Amino acid sequence: MSIRSESLIGVARRPRRAFSLAQWLDREPVFSWLMMVLPILFLAAFVGYPFFYGILLSLQDRPVAQPGTFVGLKNFIADFHDPVFWRVAINTFVYTGVATLLKMVGGLGLALAMNQHFRMKNLVRALLLLPFIVPTVLSTVAWLWMLDPAFSVVNRLLIELGVPRPGPSWLGNPVFAMFSIIMINTWRGLPFYGITLLAGLQTVPPELYEAATIDGAGGWQRFRYVTLPLLQPIILIVTLFSVIFTFADFQLVYVLTHGGPQNATHLFATYAFDIGMGGGQLGLGASIALTMLPALALLILALTLYMRRQ
Amino acid sequence: MGSTSRRDFLKIAVASAAGAALAPSAGRAADKTVTVLHESSFIKTYDEYMQKTLAPAYEKEAGVKIAYELTSVGSLPTRASTVAETGSGADITMNITLMPFLFADKYLDVTDIAEEAGKAQGGWYPAGKESVFVDGKWKGVPFSNIGQLMNWRTDYFKEVGVTKFPDTWEELYEVGKKLKAKDHPFGFELGHGFGDNHGWIYPLLWSYGGAEVQPDGKTVSIDSDETAKAVDFARKFFKDCVLEDCLGWTDVSNNKAWMADQISCTNNAESILWFAKRDFPEIGKVTDQAQNPQGPKGRFHLLNAVSHSIFAFSPVKEEARAFLRWLTAEKHLGGWYASADSYYQPLLHSYDNAPMWDVEPRNKPYRDALANAHLPGWPAPASRQLAESVAKYVVVDMFAKACAGSSTKEVIKTAEAQLREIYKSA
Repeated sequence: MSIRSESLIGVARRPRRAFSLAQWLDREPVFSWLMMVLPILFLAAFVGYPFFYGILLSLQDRPVAQPGTFVGLKNFIADFHDPVFWRVAINTFVYTGVATLLKMVGGLGLALAMNQHFRMKNLVRALLLLPFIVPTVLSTVAWLWMLDPAFSVVNRLLIELGVPRPGPSWLGNPVFAMFSIIMINTWRGLPFYGITLLAGLQTVPPELYEAATIDGAGGWQRFRYVTLPLLQPIILIVTLFSVIFTFADFQLVYVLTHGGPQNATHLFATYAFDIGMGGGQLGLGASIALTMLPALALLILALTLYMRRQ
Repeated sequence: MGSTSRRDFLKIAVASAAGAALAPSAGRAADKTVTVLHESSFIKTYDEYMQKTLAPAYEKEAGVKIAYELTSVGSLPTRASTVAETGSGADITMNITLMPFLFADKYLDVTDIAEEAGKAQGGWYPAGKESVFVDGKWKGVPFSNIGQLMNWRTDYFKEVGVTKFPDTWEELYEVGKKLKAKDHPFGFELGHGFGDNHGWIYPLLWSYGGAEVQPDGKTVSIDSDETAKAVDFARKFFKDCVLEDCLGWTDVSNNKAWMADQISCTNNAESILWFAKRDFPEIGKVTDQAQNPQGPKGRFHLLNAVSHSIFAFSPVKEEARAFLRWLTAEKHLGGWYASADSYYQPLLHSYDNAPMWDVEPRNKPYRDALANAHLPGWPAPASRQLAESVAKYVVVDMFAKACAGSSTKEVIKTAEAQLREIYKSA
């Protein structure tokens, strides 16, 4: 008994090893936090701070270069009374919805096509990324020329096909203008979808296809019951990203139409910018930008929950 | 011999020590820098004149360095907002359009400099004062207007028997109808650009007697018979004379269409003639310019003013003030104007007959247009409410919607509701 207790005391009394910085850093909790500090600081400074400052601004009457006064939700109430705001909201949802759908379907088709074996496959794959790589402003200016009714490729072609001169006014007609920006966004975003889904396709084990074929599945059935279920998580993630980017799109519209004609292509981002920077109403502008948040947050939440369940 | 040389040595040592001690402070004085924020000009020689002539001359004369910082076209208001918000980055800024009204709180009162210049140089045009006068103070020293006028094709107008630009909107309409029928439509921007839509739409509204707000700056008055007449005119003008695509135009569009020989008349600044003469000389030869047509209530032009202000938080306020005063003296100002021919139209009367107007006589209407040029929102003084109305394109879209087919009553009603919401805070 006594021996045992002595030995216990001996253990307790054993002098601690000297503190070693190297070993401390080697501990997993320490090291992982150390690695995360920089990104967290970065996010806090460049995402967190502007975000909370934006919320603060949206609750103020804050003309540029003047001190702000707290007005509560007055800016949001003003937004809801603004007919243009509702037009902008509808525009943004139509733009995001249609463009995302087109990109999803088109991107899947593109990925399936690219997954086939053909000559110069790698070159074609690389070229497909071009619209995504070229800076948006640059490619949009090119589109600006292509959609000009007088000397554009598009209308020239249509006139050759028998459409009366000068052909449709792609950016002057509200419906065509929305159609045009959706098409250009789709053109731009398709490669992102295509390449990401292609990566997903290549992880599908060929044995599954073989097994399905042996079981008598046709092409459509193989796609429906093998490819699609396995691709689903990737489709979801790409869609999530795409919705966020499309919803908050700015450059394309700003360069191409600046929200015209008659606000037919104004999106939340461009409208908020015009009010905040052009009109100098920083508070009101911030409130418009923030109204994007609930819709996006819900979507992100829903997708995240879904992913967790998978 | 030896002792004198030792004394000489001491003298030299003392002198050079004193010199070394003084030199840095002398250097610091010369190191004082006044940063001038400016939008990069369409006219290269204009920016070069500041960089190569004015700035070095001032540095030599006053020992203060002038850093002339250029922002790209279109980004000046955003850049100035950043400077005004953060309280650093520039000491003097160029203003365009409504900047003096948005940033008035951050600008020094420069009434003394402006009034002095007016006295010495023939007096300011009323438009000069209108462009910078906030709450009884000159918040900037006016520099110029960049006028928006009618640009027309003399050859096409001649084809329908017109050799002098029409005097009234109705006469212009008659000509336009004939020209559109001959496939030479007009091109008047009705989209969300900045200059070329406001450039003709506000003058059109005014010339029919319409106004978005009363001179008190509070009472919305867009819903009037005068506005309705202007809108009705715009609708038929658009339908019978103008290219449909104009509804979606931004500021680059009419220049492009002009050089492509697509339109026979538009509303733009002098730059259109500049570019035509330089890059499309055949079109340049048949391009002429004229004042806006008049309506039942007179003839008007848009004031697209340029001015210079000093940020109140500048650490070199007095140096900035001294430089602005120096710059505003006739000797220096005149040279700067002349370096851009007449792209920047002086708002001081002593330049009314300056040689710059003889370089290109086709630009003279820009000078004559100064007499009845106003900021958007006139007859009310410019305000933050006006800036919001302009940013929301309320008046432009009122006309554009009518041109696209909506009824006059409906478009005026929408505009009125929007303006009421905006001017509520006035």
